[in-house]
Amino acid sequence: MRRSGAQIALSLAVLALGAGVALGTAFLPAQSGYARIGPNFIPAVVAFGLIVAGAFLLVEALSGGWRSMPEPAERTEHALHWGAFAWISGGLVAHMALMQWAGFVLAGAVLFACVARGFGSARALRDAGVGLALSLGVFLFFVRVLNVSLPGGWLKPLIGGL
Amino acid sequence: MEAFAGLLQGFDVALKPINLLWGFIGVTLGTFVGVLPGVGPALTVAMLLPLTAQLDPTGALIMFAGIYYGAMFGGSTTTILLNTPGESASIATALEGNKMAKAGRAGPALATSAIGSFVAGTIAVVLLTLLAPVVVEVALKFGPAEYFALMVFAFTTVAAVLGASTTRGLASLFVGLMLGLVGIDSQTGQPRFAFGVPELLDGIDVVVLAVGLFAVGETLYVAAYTSRLPETLEKMSGSIWMSAQDWKRSAPAWLRATAIGFPFGSIPAGGAEIPTFLSYSLEKKLTKYPEEFGSGAIEGVAGPEAANNASATGVLVPLLTLGIPTSATAAILLTAFQNYGIQPGPLLFQIQPDLVWGLIASMYVGNVILLVLNLPLIGIWVKVLSIPRPMLYAGILVFATLGAYSLHQSWVDLATLYVFGLLGFVMRRFDIPVAPAVIGLILGPLAETQFRRALSISQGDASVFLTQPISAAFLAVTAALVVVPWLVRRRRRLRKLG
Repeated sequence: MRRSGAQIALSLAVLALGAGVALGTAFLPAQSGYARIGPNFIPAVVAFGLIVAGAFLLVEALSGGWRSMPEPAERTEHALHWGAFAWISGGLVAHMALMQWAGFVLAGAVLFACVARGFGSARALRDAGVGLALSLGVFLFFVRVLNVSLPGGWLKPLIGGL
Repeated sequence: MEAFAGLLQGFDVALKPINLLWGFIGVTLGTFVGVLPGVGPALTVAMLLPLTAQLDPTGALIMFAGIYYGAMFGGSTTTILLNTPGESASIATALEGNKMAKAGRAGPALATSAIGSFVAGTIAVVLLTLLAPVVVEVALKFGPAEYFALMVFAFTTVAAVLGASTTRGLASLFVGLMLGLVGIDSQTGQPRFAFGVPELLDGIDVVVLAVGLFAVGETLYVAAYTSRLPETLEKMSGSIWMSAQDWKRSAPAWLRATAIGFPFGSIPAGGAEIPTFLSYSLEKKLTKYPEEFGSGAIEGVAGPEAANNASATGVLVPLLTLGIPTSATAAILLTAFQNYGIQPGPLLFQIQPDLVWGLIASMYVGNVILLVLNLPLIGIWVKVLSIPRPMLYAGILVFATLGAYSLHQSWVDLATLYVFGLLGFVMRRFDIPVAPAVIGLILGPLAETQFRRALSISQGDASVFLTQPISAAFLAVTAALVVVPWLVRRRRRLRKLG
């Protein structure tokens, strides 16, 4: 098996995470009561665990790859489709930004249309329409029936909400 | 006897019309969402959690029992017709189930899985009824040291023993434990790893992690790596009913699988994957029709499905009696309990017997509802599968983000959700198990509390974990679980070399 750059990078990421936790632990107080250990003890254990796990992953990655991975033939995958990934990520980020401002319903419609586009749908207007109807239904059900408050945003004069 | 009285009392609660209604709604919703491809039981329960915001605890938990069963059944429908197991416990079902569907026998395959789930589920609930009071009796004697040792055992089995790779399982577990550190330390009030963000002081919600890993991560993975592949949905043709021979071949498989599945679920070892595969290979060995295996043998569906259901019920034994979740789904159920300020454990059986026994009784009822409602409605559930993929995943993400957002009405939770989505995407791509992370997040803080309590009682003397016999026994078994397989592998390798 060829050496996988991604596996090495991920192993290093786990190691770095462990180092980060260790660093954060250093700033935690060691104050202790009867237990003689403080709020910094378990974080230290977790940091140690992450570093050990990361080190093992790195050793595996450098010596023939991570163990017992599924055979490439078993995985029914095509090559990474960046466009799909980008559309869905973009939709989620737009949704995050639009939520407080444009409201739940419009943010939901945008998210819906972006995800559908990511899955290869070519009918953006129809998708946005379906998304609008779905999020409006959900909004009204949660706000009116379940009394869970959701932001109405731009549509607030029409449909209410926060 | 005590169990019997408790159960009668529980039926009193579960059979109230309003609670029956919640059970009914739960089963229907659970099946509907569970049928959606790529949505496993854990995600179904997590996504439907906000719906119960306004219910009383008993009603909400009864609804969740329904969702749990519905989701399992819905998942097997998808597995059989679409060959996309929503979770690792359904892989064994897919082996024969999809072959049966391809051969035009989708009806009997779905029927044996539904009836098998009912039989296994019901027997498992009876066993749960009998076993729970016994475990509670023992657990009442547990102190913090025993609980801590038991949790270490659960961590080890879930992360290191059950998966394909111990290393990746442990990495996932420690990431979950790390996420569990975020927030206010329950013993001293010290904020940890919250970086001054108010939303993080509350800690990271298990629902956000689970929905991020399972819904956002899965959607990103499917879109980026499999959405451009052709997909074949097997038609539901022919009769749904099983022939006399189907019955004769299925029934023993259901019973054997229950005997395998329940113990696996109820020891705090979690994971329905091993019992389903054990059942599959047992049926393959015992069958009178070995030539059918690989081209659609009904035992190969009946066994794993029953094992899956029996084990899912078994998982409720440690969850209800000890408060220890050993599967991702159980971790989410525990969050549902905690949202109502309920901490499952032996005391719950004494403080709120109505609630616990009502929940157990509603599982008997839920199994019946599942059978009478869903078997005739299979045709409708199958229609759900023909929703175009772009619409389907778009809808899933609308609901997934709703669940996260409704926690604090804050975009921070949405950002956290997306980060966990990226994490889930990477974990899925590189075959890193996600269940250890979810269990680490919810069980980690509980384990830390028990650990520090135990040390407080012993005045900081760490030997307490080894001098208490029960705690020492759990730790010894845990150590053996890690060391023995390693030694065996090593010996085998040495023998090969020599």
